[in-house]
Amino acid sequence: MADEALFQFLHNELIQYVYKSAEHGEMENGRCITKLENMGFRVGQGLIERFTRDTARFKDELDVMKFVCKDFWTSVFKKQIDNLRTNHQGIYVLQDNKFRLLTQLSTGKQYLEHAPKYLAFTCGLVRGGLANLGVKSIVTAEVSVMPACKFQVMIQKM
Amino acid sequence: MLRNRKIEMTVHNLYIFDRNGTCLHYSEWNRKKQAGISKEEEYKLMYGMLFSIRSFVSKMSPLDMKDGFLAFQTSRYKLHYYETPTGVKIVMNTDLGVPNCRDVLHQIYSTLYVEYIVKNPLCALGETLQSELFSSRLESFIRALPFFSARAG
Amino acid sequence: MSRQSNRTTESKKMNSELFTLTYGALVTQLCKDYENDEEVNKQLDKMGYNIGVRLIEDFLARSSVGRCHDFRETADVIAKVAFKMYLGITPSVTNWSPAGDEFSLILESNPLVDFVELPDNHSTLVYSNLLCGVLRGALEMVQMAVDVRFAQDTLRGDNVTEIRMKFIKRIEENLPAGDE
Repeated sequence: MADEALFQFLHNELIQYVYKSAEHGEMENGRCITKLENMGFRVGQGLIERFTRDTARFKDELDVMKFVCKDFWTSVFKKQIDNLRTNHQGIYVLQDNKFRLLTQLSTGKQYLEHAPKYLAFTCGLVRGGLANLGVKSIVTAEVSVMPACKFQVMIQKM
Repeated sequence: MLRNRKIEMTVHNLYIFDRNGTCLHYSEWNRKKQAGISKEEEYKLMYGMLFSIRSFVSKMSPLDMKDGFLAFQTSRYKLHYYETPTGVKIVMNTDLGVPNCRDVLHQIYSTLYVEYIVKNPLCALGETLQSELFSSRLESFIRALPFFSARAG
Repeated sequence: MSRQSNRTTESKKMNSELFTLTYGALVTQLCKDYENDEEVNKQLDKMGYNIGVRLIEDFLARSSVGRCHDFRETADVIAKVAFKMYLGITPSVTNWSPAGDEFSLILESNPLVDFVELPDNHSTLVYSNLLCGVLRGALEMVQMAVDVRFAQDTLRGDNVTEIRMKFIKRIEENLPAGDE
């Protein structure tokens, strides 16, 4: 079983690689985020694929979201999502007060402009996981003070 | 007269060097007298001295040493030294009453330097440490040490 | 079995796959970005090196391992402590060269390649080449220049996975050039 630190170092290297091979600029930044998000998507799909084939056991969308907040989050980030909110119209906000991939960076505003890079892969992870549970979505992240972070999941009705 | 001498326990300052001799971090607490040279000069001389002591003590050792040079003291202060196999060097000057600090310095390395610098990809290795998180954690760590004197300073 | 406990076991398994799958996603991306396998191998080695120079500090902080006396001790620490800590496996150390400057790590299983099959058009891809870079980077930080390469790989039909390590030289620490 691979160690957590090893995953973190690999995750950092992934970001480093994606950004290094790109030119600077706002457009490029968007492309890098998409690239990282897509990698996360594949991993999220894979993680769910192997272990939760039986999607029938989730009684509804909210049940799926609870699974993501508890089991999925714990297995990947060693803690649960601290707060789950929904408008009951397909938008869910998952708040993590101490997001694992930000805890070593800052407790405040320093490096805030770099935060999106460290969230893109995870957005993809969630989207990929959900997709394999039959829930199509768009996932974005928002940080105002590190290491707290909010992931917004917008369900795409099929 | 020993019993008349007030034993004050305190931390004066702390340096972190990398294996190339770059001073990555410096902070001071109860340092009443400065060296009278620029900080750059001070770092360079400090590193040079450590480098010499370290290689000479191992030459002089009657047996193979694993940890090498640990500390020295003068009539007024004690210098505690900790070095990792990767060449990170942590130096802390304290008052004479402060006991062996090896564990303290190891903790600074393992719970602060590794956690907040090495694992922060935004901190380039070998450059002056910029992380505010690291500085603030180090500050509270030192201030919480049992021998850190709060009244001095 | 209740649904809850069912999920708990799944969580544990899921976590162990995170690294493997993320690594797989990286290799896939590199294969898209580069024209040939050689370039991908090189990039994996480079990324491994970057990981290695930081991972060694994490390793020293968490293990009670100090400076090694010789290359044999280093080999043991790598196999028994480092591989165990980071990948949960303990490769065997064998095939020492007579001069004691070269050995092999034999991996019975390689967690990086779980569920991986090399496509036919990537016959020269060294899928796990990241590991070579990690070892090279980590050892360089403890003053050892080494050469690391895959000698055998189960992904390519060999019976075992073998990493060959060769000691090149000790990197001496020098006093930075002064201007006095």
